Amino acid sequence: MMESLMPELIRMVVAAVLVVAFVFLNAMIMGYLERKLSAHIQRRPGLMEVGPHGILQLLIDGLKLIGKQLVIPEKSDHFLFRLAPVLSFAPVVLPFIVIPFSRKLVIRDLDVGLIFILAISSLNVLTILVAGWSSNNKYSLFGAVRSVAQNISYEIPMLLSLLAVVLMTGTFSLQGIVAAQGKIWFFLIQPIAFITYIIAGVAETNRAPFDLPEAESELTAGYHTEYSGMGFSLFMLAEYANMFIVCSIATTLFLGGWRGIPLPFGDYSGIIWFFLKVYGLMVFLVWIRWTYPRTRFDQLMNFCWKYLIPFALVNVLVTAVLVKVL
Amino acid sequence: MSETSMVDFTYVILFLIGGLLAAIGPFVISNLLRPRVFNRKTMDTYECGMDPFGSAWDIRFGVSYYLYALIFLAFDVDILYLFPVAAAYDRVAGIRGAVEFIIFVLILSLAVVYAWAKGVFTWPKKKILS
Repeated sequence: MMESLMPELIRMVVAAVLVVAFVFLNAMIMGYLERKLSAHIQRRPGLMEVGPHGILQLLIDGLKLIGKQLVIPEKSDHFLFRLAPVLSFAPVVLPFIVIPFSRKLVIRDLDVGLIFILAISSLNVLTILVAGWSSNNKYSLFGAVRSVAQNISYEIPMLLSLLAVVLMTGTFSLQGIVAAQGKIWFFLIQPIAFITYIIAGVAETNRAPFDLPEAESELTAGYHTEYSGMGFSLFMLAEYANMFIVCSIATTLFLGGWRGIPLPFGDYSGIIWFFLKVYGLMVFLVWIRWTYPRTRFDQLMNFCWKYLIPFALVNVLVTAVLVKVL
Repeated sequence: MSETSMVDFTYVILFLIGGLLAAIGPFVISNLLRPRVFNRKTMDTYECGMDPFGSAWDIRFGVSYYLYALIFLAFDVDILYLFPVAAAYDRVAGIRGAVEFIIFVLILSLAVVYAWAKGVFTWPKKKILS
């Protein structure tokens, strides 16, 4: 028994190390892209000092954040305050298990893949509440309350839009869903589900125009106001990793996953297409963030309940009927 | 438990451990390197530089949040039932599956209609006390 498991165990450890390394790398790439793109959108050069065009800036920032003092406010709940960033970072490596990067490159294709990702990513709400409550700071608590209300509301249109795809494919395995998109990508058949998913995804990752939990003009920094140094950077790492996961689900379910015009790299072209699509979507999210102003909180909630959920429900119904009729 | 599902679980548990280690590791390094400077106000709660006023734990917030949480609970649990339905949808013969699906979703959507009619989605204007 143990003999046969040995190569599998080595594969697991290597995969875990690679994924953790990738989460850090992804945060650096996205941090750089976000700051550089926002700068160019606002017609300023942005990062220029450290390295050519400032590409080493994020490395220096990471080192600086490790060297910072960890301030734990006296009146906070000390245990939960320390626990929250760890809790927020630990689950973000789990969804990488089922994401199909290429035809053969998937760490483990669980047959409940999609539900697994949804279950893990909804843990995020809990950590935000823990962080906001344990800080004993008014900004943090209000940010956390808003964030919970927003995240649980937008989870419903997200689930409904994914449900429409599952109705068509009849499988939760992400590799199976990619295989079902051989002829046509699902964003052409399911445009409403795709748009709903992208909007809900922006809201789930707490990004502008839905960044009410971190609205800096009224709440300083929302739920992570009191965090400094490593605590703050773990929240940031988790946020960028969540962005990657949201975009890779969108790519897998709606944009054909690793499929694309064959490139002259053999089996590697799948990986290239996958990362091109995911980072294209992420740049799109950054573009949205720096283009649109923030919404008001009641507008945000009612947009979800009055428009997104009814549209998504009708979309699911129409899909269910069409699957049977056609 | 079959061997495949055991390998599946091992993957999940090992990745969870990996994530925890990757989260705690930087904390340990940071603990060794960080400065320890404590001024009079360092450990105070941050409130834009003023002295903190009261505790945040006895603050009150709008009841609307609670109402949204209630409809969410009703809605989300019902949608959970739709996922197994979706996975087995192509095994139901004929139009019967679609009809049952429509009836379920229509009853489900009554939750939104009810909340809408009750005025959960209209936030009352704040009364300005003179």
